[in-house]
Amino acid sequence: MHPILGSVRRLAFYLLAWIVIGLLLSVGLGYGLAGDWLTAVLFFVPLGVVYALVTQSAWYVCRIFPLVRARGWHVAGAQILAAIFASAIWVAAAGAWSRTLAAMGFDAAGSMYDPQRPLLFVVGALLFWLVSIFFYLLIAFDASKDAERANVELSLLAREAELKALRAQIDPHFIFNSLHSISALTATDPAAARRMCLLLADFLRETLRLGGNEQIPLSEELALADRYLAIEQVRLGARLNVARDADSSAANCLVPPLLLQPLVENAVTHGIAQLVEGGTIRMAAACSGSTLTITLENPCDPDRARTRGVGLGLELLRKRLTNHFGAIDAVYAQERDGQFRVEVRIPVVTGAPA
Amino acid sequence: MMPEDILRVIVVDDEELARTLLRELLGAHADIEIIGECGNGFEAVKAVTEKKPDLLLLDIQMPKLDGFDVLELIGTEVPVVFVTAYDQYAIKAFQVHAVDYLLKPFGAERLAEALARARARIGTREALPAKALVSEARAARAPLERILIRDKADVHVIPVAKIDYFESQDDYVSLKVGDKTLLKEQTLSELEQLLDPGRFVRIHRRYLLNVARLAKIEQSVTDSRVAVLQDGTEIPISRSGYAKLREIL
Repeated sequence: MHPILGSVRRLAFYLLAWIVIGLLLSVGLGYGLAGDWLTAVLFFVPLGVVYALVTQSAWYVCRIFPLVRARGWHVAGAQILAAIFASAIWVAAAGAWSRTLAAMGFDAAGSMYDPQRPLLFVVGALLFWLVSIFFYLLIAFDASKDAERANVELSLLAREAELKALRAQIDPHFIFNSLHSISALTATDPAAARRMCLLLADFLRETLRLGGNEQIPLSEELALADRYLAIEQVRLGARLNVARDADSSAANCLVPPLLLQPLVENAVTHGIAQLVEGGTIRMAAACSGSTLTITLENPCDPDRARTRGVGLGLELLRKRLTNHFGAIDAVYAQERDGQFRVEVRIPVVTGAPA
Repeated sequence: MMPEDILRVIVVDDEELARTLLRELLGAHADIEIIGECGNGFEAVKAVTEKKPDLLLLDIQMPKLDGFDVLELIGTEVPVVFVTAYDQYAIKAFQVHAVDYLLKPFGAERLAEALARARARIGTREALPAKALVSEARAARAPLERILIRDKADVHVIPVAKIDYFESQDDYVSLKVGDKTLLKEQTLSELEQLLDPGRFVRIHRRYLLNVARLAKIEQSVTDSRVAVLQDGTEIPISRSGYAKLREIL
């Protein structure tokens, strides 16, 4: 699609620009020779409008010989040839127009053409190149706009993919097990069954809601973890205990959503649930200087059958945090004497959640 | 109903609520008697040994010993219905000849179906897993990280890293763990297949050695070699055993 001829508005602007060029030519090349403004303007302005249309052909030359990809001498050769051709038309038109004007009684018109034919030719070529430069700029501008749009689209896609992945993190077995617990409670303790239903609904809704944010206060993340653990406590009974210690400055820090959730799930599934006697999950969060440290500790069975689950979850979290905060080493995990400990260290971010 | 028609069932699940639900649902069946409830695999093996149930309702996800571990230990004694929230074990469950596979959450009807299936199969040889099938399921989990040993009602779980070597004793294998010796009903060749070949090497027809325990190899007078372990124990090395050992070291 031609960028100028394709739009009436742009064509009007472009022609207006050429009328100005025509007026400038009347001043520079016309008045001195014709000695009369009317003849000078009558000669150069219509000529400018005609040449405005002729130079549109520069667009195709620019498209066929793009600056960045075509060879330098190809571009130069094409532009010189095209300029000679266009300018020849421009000079011929000037000749015809000067004769027409002379026939119409503007005798001075011929005086602007005959003596400065070579100069007109050079001006025509220069004007052609001016239009070429304009088109090259236009192409570069479009390219950068396209690149920007592609970038925005890409980051939108990436964000969407991350969201999907976050939502998919809800372990379906967690839901099946919870529903099984509810099913058991309906006969023995209907009130507890109802509480469990509400807890589960709250947890699912909150997970979906928080996942849609760029960042959330840590306090909300901790509240989600509380809900999750409350549900698992119904299932695991006295085997699961929770201790939590987050200072208020840490609770106000902003963190990527569902940061804690995979860690808490790991602590239950691969830690507490693998122990006959169960144990206590300890969560702590504290700010020191510009670093927010979140710690999760749980007992585990050193002889348990290893699954890929834990390592994979930590690896995903590490990747997410790198995406979010840039190249930092944020996740530290170690297992010692039957205690599994994960530490997440990220920069303190405060302010309104985005 | 005749007393011999009563199906004596043991329920195994580490979750109290899951057991409560099974108790409630099984209560509706006059021909079922719950003779035991277990909260983990150790209790399950013990209960099976002592009470000899007709049927085991067995959870898969349990601490220390999971449902498949329990099945491996009780082998061919009792037919099993697996109960789990995870559907990815279904194929394996039927490979070890489980009577049925109940997915949590399940209702009274689905449980009744499983019980009917169990009844139909009990008394036929089909109800019990063949030994070959049990060991096949075991192979699916290779390489073994721990050895399970059943000593009547008790279960020992031994991480393979703690084992010095295995010695073949006809149908049994003896495990040397420090100064203790334990017996397991399995052949040495079978174990060799299940263990990590980079860590356990068959250095002799009768010995499978934990390579990490090897201190040095001594040449004895009669052109045969002897492995000396870190604690000074000496084990003979056969000619082919020496070749295998050299490949790894």
